[in-house]
Parts: sequence; structure tokens; C-alpha cells
Amino acid sequence: MAVSTPPGPDAVRDDLEQVFRTAYPRVVAVAARVLGSRDEAEDVAQEVFLAFGRSAVPAGEAVGWLCVAAAHTALNHLRSGRRRASREEAAGASRPVSPDVADTVVTLDERRRVRAALARLPRRQAVALVLRHSGLSYAEVAAALDLSPGSVGTTVRRAESALREELNRHASSD
Amino acid sequence: MRHPTDGTLRRLVDEPAGVADTDREHVADCPVCLSELVTAQREAAAAAAALDVEVAVDVEAGWRRLSRSLAADDAPGVGAPTRRRWRSLLRSPAIAAVGVVALLTGAGAAAAADWLQIFRPERVAPITVTRDDLLALPELTAYGRVDREGNTDVRDVADAAAAERATGIAVPRVGELPRGVTGEPTYQVRDRVTTFFTFSAAEAAAAAAEAGGTLPPPPPGLDGSRFRLTNGPRVAAVWSSTGGVPALVVARTAAPTVDSSGTPFETARDYVLTLPGLPADLAEQLRSVSADGTTLPLRVLSERMTSSSADVNGTPATVLTSRDATMAAVVWLDGGLVTAVAGSLSADEVLAVARGLR
Repeated sequence: MAVSTPPGPDAVRDDLEQVFRTAYPRVVAVAARVLGSRDEAEDVAQEVFLAFGRSAVPAGEAVGWLCVAAAHTALNHLRSGRRRASREEAAGASRPVSPDVADTVVTLDERRRVRAALARLPRRQAVALVLRHSGLSYAEVAAALDLSPGSVGTTVRRAESALREELNRHASSD
Repeated sequence: MRHPTDGTLRRLVDEPAGVADTDREHVADCPVCLSELVTAQREAAAAAAALDVEVAVDVEAGWRRLSRSLAADDAPGVGAPTRRRWRSLLRSPAIAAVGVVALLTGAGAAAAADWLQIFRPERVAPITVTRDDLLALPELTAYGRVDREGNTDVRDVADAAAAERATGIAVPRVGELPRGVTGEPTYQVRDRVTTFFTFSAAEAAAAAAEAGGTLPPPPPGLDGSRFRLTNGPRVAAVWSSTGGVPALVVARTAAPTVDSSGTPFETARDYVLTLPGLPADLAEQLRSVSADGTTLPLRVLSERMTSSSADVNGTPATVLTSRDATMAAVVWLDGGLVTAVAGSLSADEVLAVARGLR
């Protein structure tokens, strides 16, 4: 699914506020998984809802459309190279199960690498990966990306392998 | 029967109800598929950890912002850093300070003669930070150049002996497993990782100028100073659980140390602690724990964890407990090695494991 929407009428759709209040946290969460930053994720979500507000996307497809648009737009931000790596993951790295209690610096650097690796994945794989890990079901990811549910598993599986390979390949080279 | 596809195995990891009974039954009896399933589980868990983010969203504020944009017909530009973001970063050089102090206290082993060892921890101590502080942490690369040597990949090895051969560190053996933790652990190792940081006054000033602010002048000699941080090697024994979170982890790593090309530890530390915006209580915590370069600050995220003191067979230790009481960890430093016992356990249980290590 493309991020850009066909030019809609100038009027803002009537159900925008209702959809916004329901879906905004989820849309921010999708973008945050890509960008790792709340501020940037909220910027992306705002951008996506502005486009949605003037689109004619059917209400029943709104959440899927918004999530896919958020994933694409966030990946575009990553590739624009103008963003700063985030500290979100730094917070996540403090959980007690991490044996890396003394590893702050390396952890921060690794989180930056995750973003770089995501940017290098094939776009469809990256989007499927982010949507699935954002809690969309296989059926929802399938509908949003126009795939069969069976292909979702294959696409996500390939994305996870590719992510691991990307992280390994670039672990000591950049 | 044909093996199910890798996509089917992947779905079995986290949406098994969507997989046909015949495929499930096949996998349960097929060593090849079970092995593939384990790999899929591991990679799914790794991806989940890499992508894990929790963000608190203010829907009302978001709606007000969208309403203003709609009214002004003023869509935000794609990818352009906003002034607000730069300002928020500048307001928290505090956080840069946390990063740099963490760097100063984060890793390293002196070897070459032209390096001055400026930090070798002998104990750990908790410092409390908030999630907002961590969220605003700017990149170290804004302050200079960061290079790294070594493979950060965590890899499985066959057994404890292989882990020791790979790292030179003996894996502590658990005397008695806590109730509910069963089976044999998997052993993981990671090589030593060396990070070099070169402070650049020009880059730091440029970062500040871009944000519309001014950094305090660095002390003489800091510009161009190099710091070398070596972390690890590390070994870990991991008992898994069905939920994806390890039931028990026993990890041991060479204590991180830091070497400098000339700048004394106190000089660098005092500089970062005087950067504007550093919350006074955090500065005070960092100043006190880093007074003599022998205490490793253990970051405690105040929203998620609480810390307390304990001892492990006579060695002072720090106990971390998650506020939802689902996880606990105990960390101590002895003889140049940091040891951590953590898991989906109570504080008493991790302490019992720690005290029973052989």
C-alpha cells in the first residue's frame, strides 16, 4: 500500500476525531518501533492523520491504513538520514533481566544499528515486521499489505532473519 | 508428510491458533521442524527485543495539535528536525552528562603504555534516572567521534566448558535452581568490545549552535582527547521459559574499565557535570558515585525499578526489583568481575541463587 493518498476533498472527514482518539496510540507505537523516539513518532503520526483526514479511506480499513502509512513514513524518515538515534531503547535496556548491566555505551550504539538495519531491509519485509511486532494479527497484516495470511509468516520470518544478519554484518564495520 | 513452510513455523511461534492441526502435529514429532521452530523463536525474540519501545502518548495533546494543523492547513515537513526537538535536547545536556559519565564509567582494560587507566571499578552503586531523562539523551557522536572494535553478537556455545574456552571466564554454577526453573541452561558468550571516543570541541559547539545554545568551554586538553572503553568478554547461562522472558540468567563479565590518552578522569567528569540543564540531584548522584573512579554506576530507571542493598557472601551487592514485582536482579563486583543473577523471580530467590553460586 502506498503512503500517499489520492487528493481528497478539501473537507476534513467527519469521523476523524473518533478514529484519532481510538488509533493514535497505536499509530504512534508503530512509528516508534521504527524510529525509537517518541517525539519523532508523534511527528509521523500527525503527518499520517493529516493525510488520513482528507482521504476517502473506508472507515473499516482506517486502522490498517494508518499503521501501514505510519510504518512507511517512519521508514522514509530513517532513510532521510536527518534524524538522531533515539534513547527509547536505552530505557528498555535497563530491565533487570539484561545481563548487560555495565554496557550503556555499547547498548546505545547497538540501538542505533537496529534503526540502520531496518532501513536496509526490503520495504515490504520491514513494514510486515514492524506491524506484526506492533501487535497486528496475521490477518490484519495480511489485509493491510494485501498478502495471504500464510505469506505474512514467511515475510516476517525472512525479515527477522535479515534483521539479524544485518545487525551481525554491520556489528563491527560502521 | 511434507514439512510445513517456514511461514507456518513462524506463525506457530506467536499465533498457533492460526496453524492447522495437521501442521502442529507434524511439528511436534519432527526433529527437523522442531529445530527450525527453535531458530524461529530465537530470531523472533531477538527482533522483538530490538524493536521494543514503550511510549506514553497524550491523546488530548495530540488531538489539539492535529486540530491546529488542520485549522492552519500546515502539515509538518517530512523528516525535518523540529526546533522543539533540538531545544528539548539542549535543555537536557544533563542527559549528555549521563551518557558521557556512563561512557567514562562504562567499559575498558588498560594494556598499551600510552594509555592511562582512569577508571577501574571495585564496586557497584545504583543511580536513579527517569525515563524522560533517557528519552532525551543525545548522541555521543554529537560530541566527537565514536569507533568500535569487536563483535557485539551474542552467540550460543555448547556448554560451560566451551563458554570458558571462548572467554576465559568460568561460568558460575548454580547450586540449587529456584522453584519453577528447570532443565539445562543455554550458554551464551560475547567477545570483548572496545569503544574509542574522541572528544571534539568543534563538533560539540556545532551541535549546541545548531540547537541555538552554547556549551561551556571545555577544559584545556579535553579537545581531541581519546578515551578507550573495553567491555567484556561476557558469559551467561540462560534458563528459558515459555513466556519469552528468561526464567533465570546468571551472567559474568570482566569489569569495564576506561583508559584515557591523557585527560584525567576528574577533569572529564567535572566538565560533563557542569553542563547546563543537568538536574541537581542527578549531578550529585553521579558526582558522589564517581568520586574516585572505582564505583560502577548502575542505572536504575525510577519508573520501572527500585534498588536496595544486600550482600552476597560478604561482598556488597545491589538488588533491583521491577515495580510490577515480576522480575528481580542482583549485581555485584568482585575480583574484577561483575556478576548478575536475574530472572522472573523474587529478590529473595535471586539472592538465594547468588549466594549458592559455586
